[in-house]
Order: sequence, then structure tokens, then C-alpha cells
Amino acid sequence: VTAEAQRRRAFWQILLFAAGLLVLTVISGGSVYLVNKARQDSQWVIHTIEVENQVNTLLLEIRRAESAARGYLLTGGADFKTDHEKAVAAIIPALDKLTRLIGDNPAQRDSIEKLSSAIETRLGQFARDLDLIGQGQPEEAAAMVREAAAGDTTTMIRDLAAVMIQEEERLFRLRAANADRSQTLAASMTGIGSGLVVLLALISVVLVRRSARARNEAEARLRDANINLEATVDERTADLREANNEIQRFAYIVSHDLRSPLVNIMGFTSELEELGGDIFRRIGGLTRVAADGPPLAPDPLSGPLSSPLGEVALEGPDKQLSADFSEALGFIKSSIAKMDRLISAILNLTREGRREFVPVRIDTRELIEAIVSTLAHQAAEAEAEIHVAPLPNITSDRLALEQIFSNLIDNAIKYLKQGVPGEIRIRGRTKLGYAIFEISDNGRGIDPKDHQRIFDLFRRAGTQDKPGQGIGLAHVRTLVRRLGGTMSVSSELNTGSTFTITLPLTWNASNRNADS
Amino acid sequence: MTKPVSIIMIEDDEGHARLIERNIRRSGVNNEIVAFGNGTDAIRHLFGADGSGLAQKGNALLILLDLNLPDMTGIDILKQIKENKYLKCSPVVVLTTTDDSQEIKRCYELGCNVYITKPVNYENFAHAIRQLGLFFSVIQVPSTAT
Repeated sequence: VTAEAQRRRAFWQILLFAAGLLVLTVISGGSVYLVNKARQDSQWVIHTIEVENQVNTLLLEIRRAESAARGYLLTGGADFKTDHEKAVAAIIPALDKLTRLIGDNPAQRDSIEKLSSAIETRLGQFARDLDLIGQGQPEEAAAMVREAAAGDTTTMIRDLAAVMIQEEERLFRLRAANADRSQTLAASMTGIGSGLVVLLALISVVLVRRSARARNEAEARLRDANINLEATVDERTADLREANNEIQRFAYIVSHDLRSPLVNIMGFTSELEELGGDIFRRIGGLTRVAADGPPLAPDPLSGPLSSPLGEVALEGPDKQLSADFSEALGFIKSSIAKMDRLISAILNLTREGRREFVPVRIDTRELIEAIVSTLAHQAAEAEAEIHVAPLPNITSDRLALEQIFSNLIDNAIKYLKQGVPGEIRIRGRTKLGYAIFEISDNGRGIDPKDHQRIFDLFRRAGTQDKPGQGIGLAHVRTLVRRLGGTMSVSSELNTGSTFTITLPLTWNASNRNADS
Repeated sequence: MTKPVSIIMIEDDEGHARLIERNIRRSGVNNEIVAFGNGTDAIRHLFGADGSGLAQKGNALLILLDLNLPDMTGIDILKQIKENKYLKCSPVVVLTTTDDSQEIKRCYELGCNVYITKPVNYENFAHAIRQLGLFFSVIQVPSTAT
């Protein structure tokens, strides 16, 4: 659940971040665009005002020229003439400028063309006026002025200018509205965008806070788990120890309870044997009485052991009966003895499991050489040589180690190949706090399919030509495990075996002791 | 004057009881042997119907006790015997299969006089019982307190 939730949360965060980025980009782009548009719109507004201004300027110049011309006509003053000429000189550039300014507007272009021609006509009239005045014909000139005033040129110019100004005013209104709209749009866009960014930021903050809280909780849980881990491990170890103890007790009780009826079987078999001996002796005695004379006095001191049947010679079918009886008892007794050995083995194993191990510093080489010397006789009989290489010293239980190594070396001597001089090597090394011991031989070897089996209780492998119960290796493995180690075997048939034991260099009794 | 010692044998396994009895007899002990197969009967015999132990007053008893009984543990019987003012002087021989050191210690702490582990091997078993019989034939047993 948590992994899924985390993934979803991460996904949402990325999505949110992307959304924020997108909004910011859109707002930035939109703002730039809209601001540009607003500026353009403003420019257009200014442009319109300029055009209006220019039209007025043009009209003003024309009026100036007109009034100056009239003044000149009335007074003939040179000042008026100069004034008029200045005004006329200003008219054409003003007209040109106006033409340039309204070059974008086809409607105005029509008007300006008409205006231009009207102005040209008017300028022509001015020129003629001035000529007439200059030639000293003021009457003619006055008539012309009147005619011009009556004519529609001036009116036309005024009207055209008015139309143009009207058009420009229309454009001004339009453009002002446009500019206004652009600015409003830009403002609202910025506002909405900022709002969105703030909203996203808020959501992010909430999410971040939530994930921070989740992380804190997880950290707290982790801390708790760490604290509890030790307790849990202790608890489990205690459970395990309890279970182990229970198994030990079980084995102990079972072997005890099995032993009790076995004592009866053994006891009454012995009684029966004794009884059989008595019966057959009597039969023999009776037969002899019939043949020879008085019966033999029964021997009261003869126990079950000291009374073989053959004291009294039996004959014919009696002898056969006696032999059958002995044979049956023999089988019973040997089976009992075997069962007794097995039960005793289990008992010994459980007793070994209950024994408290005491870790002491052990000179491993010395320990193994002591074992080798006790096995020297068997080794000599088997023509085996035992080589002990330098070994690492360890801290462990001495008795357990002795049992482990003597079992393994004893096995190595026991299962050598017939007729081949034995060579048994014991090597050791250390690795990462563990001592690794290898006991290898050139003996008969173990089939790989039996490698697991040989460690099982009462199981043996290979040719069964040596006495044994199938307990040694099971016992050794139990001991190695109790000492906190592991053991393994590598072997091929007819090429010898190597048993490897890994034991901690320093075994701490407290963590494994079953009965502590 | 003094009554002959009677041996009270508390042993749930009939076969064991028979083997013990035979081997004690073989060692020449001819005292009366009273066998009980469970703790309840033995307690009734030892302490009487009223449970005071008055019934055995003045009798010389030697008690042979197995610890693993079907209805109670021999340790309980041992405790009761050693707490009873009439019976506490009677020797108690614990004869059992358990050789647990804790158990042995506990029995001696409770006042058992001899603790014998039944050997697994019958020859040893027979031998041990016969030696116990020899021991019985020489030890002095006090009468229960009067």
C-alpha cells in the first residue's frame, strides 16, 4: 500500500510541478504578447493624435497663408508678403508629412488626394493673387480673392479636413478602446496567472508538508522498528531455544520410556533363558535317570550367564529343541541389544544437547595431536599416516571439539581403501572471524547422492563392512551447530573425502547455550 | 519385640516390579515385599484411611520408590513421607530410570536416603538390584516413631 501511495504522490508532485511550469510559461508568453500589443495600440492612438494634429497644423498654415495674403492685399505691406510666403512654404512639407502619416489608411488616402488637389488649386490661386498684386492690379486680386472666397476651394479644404479629423477621431476611439482592452487583458491575465501560480504553490506546500509528515512517520516507525528489532530477535531466540529444549526433552522422555519396557524384555528374556536351561537340564537329567541312575542336583548358584545349556548331554530331538530354543533366544537378545544401543545413542545425544558448553582458549594443534596419538594404534593397523598442518587456535568448548575431531579422524581411518596406504591430512585457515578446518583422506569416498544422508541419525552409506550405528556424523553436525558453525563434505567414490568444518574463532557461549 | 522389616515397593511397571522382587530374593532377602502399582494405593497403605500415617505406627518400613508413576510423581510421595512424623525415619530408596542431576539433587534435598538409577542393560540391572538386596540385608531400619 505504502509503495503504491508513494508512487502516486510522486506522480502528483511531478504533475503539479509541470502544471506550474506550464502556467508560468503561458503567463509569461501571454504577458509579453499582450504588453507588446498594448504598446502597439498606444502607438496607434498616438499616431491618430499626430495625424489629427498634422491636419490641424495644415489647416492652420493654409489659414495663415490666406490671412497673410488678405493682409498683403489690403495693406501691400512687405511683412504680410513674407508671412504669406513662409506659410505657403510650410504647407507643402506639412501636407507631405500628413500624407506619410496616413499612408496606412486607404480611406484617408482618398481624402488626402482630394485635399492635395484642393490645396494645390488654392496655392495656385495664392500665387496668382500675389502676381496680380505684384503687377499693381489690386482690384483684380481683390476680385480673385472674393471669387476664391465665394468658390468652394476653401470650403472644400475645410470640409475635407473635417472629414479627415472625423475619421481620425473614429480611429482614435477604436484604437483607444483596443488599447484599453489589451491592457485589461494583460492585467487580468497576469492576475489569473499569479492566482494560479499561488494556488499551485499552495497545493505543493500542502503536498510537501504531507509527504514530510509521512516521511517523519516512516522515520519514527523505522526508529521504533530498530528499537524493537533487538527485542524481537531476543524473543525469537527465546522461542527457538524453548522449541529446542522441548525437542531435547521429548527425545529424552521418549528414550526413557522406551527403555523401561526394554528392561522388562531383557530381564524376562534372561529369566526365560535361565528357565530354558533349567528345563533342558531336567530333561537331560530325567533322560539320564531313565538310562543311568540318580538325577543331578540342580545348581542353585548358577545364574543366567553361568549356565550354558550344554552341561547335560542331550540326544536326538531334545538336542534339536534345545538348539532351536537357544537360537530363538539368541535372535531376541541380539535384537534387544541393538535396540538398546540405538536408544542409548539417542539418550547420549540428548544428554550431549543438555550439556553446558564452556568456551575456553584451545591450542587446536595440540588437541588434534592428542587425538591422533590415541588413534595411533588404529592408524598403524590401517597403515595410515596422519599429517597435521599448522592450525588456527580458537575459543570454543574443548570436549565438543575433541568429539568432533576424533569422530572425523576415526571415520577417516575406518573407511580407508583396502590395500592402499592411507593418507589423512588435517588443515586449517581463518577467514572473516571463522576458522575453517579440513579433514581429508584418500579413502573409499562417498557417493554424492549420500552426502546428505550420512549426516542423518542411524543412516550409513557405502559398503557396510565396519561396525557402527550411524550416529557419529549426526552427532558431529549437532555439536558443530551448537558451536555456531557449519560443516560440509565433498567427496567422490574411490577418490577420498574432505570434511570441512567452519567454526567461529571466538564462540560466545551466552548466545547458544540451551540450558542457561 | 521388633517387627521384621517390610519392604514397600512402589513401582508402576509390573515387569520391573517382578524383576526387582526376584533379584532381591536371589540376594537372600526374605522380608515381606508389598508392591503397589500406583501412587494412590501406596499413599493409602502408608498413611492409612485418615492420611495421618498412624496406621503404620511402630512398623519397620523400607520404601522402594519409582519416580515415574501414572497418577503422581514419586517426588510428591517422597515429600509426604519425609513430612510425616511417623514415617520420616523410614529409609527411602529411589529407584528410577531418570539420571538427571537436577532430579537427583532434588530427591536428596527432600530426604531420600539412596538414589539408584535403573541401568539400561539388564545384566547391570540385575546386578544392581542384587547388590541393593545385599544392602537391605545388612542395614538397620528403625521402627516408625511411636
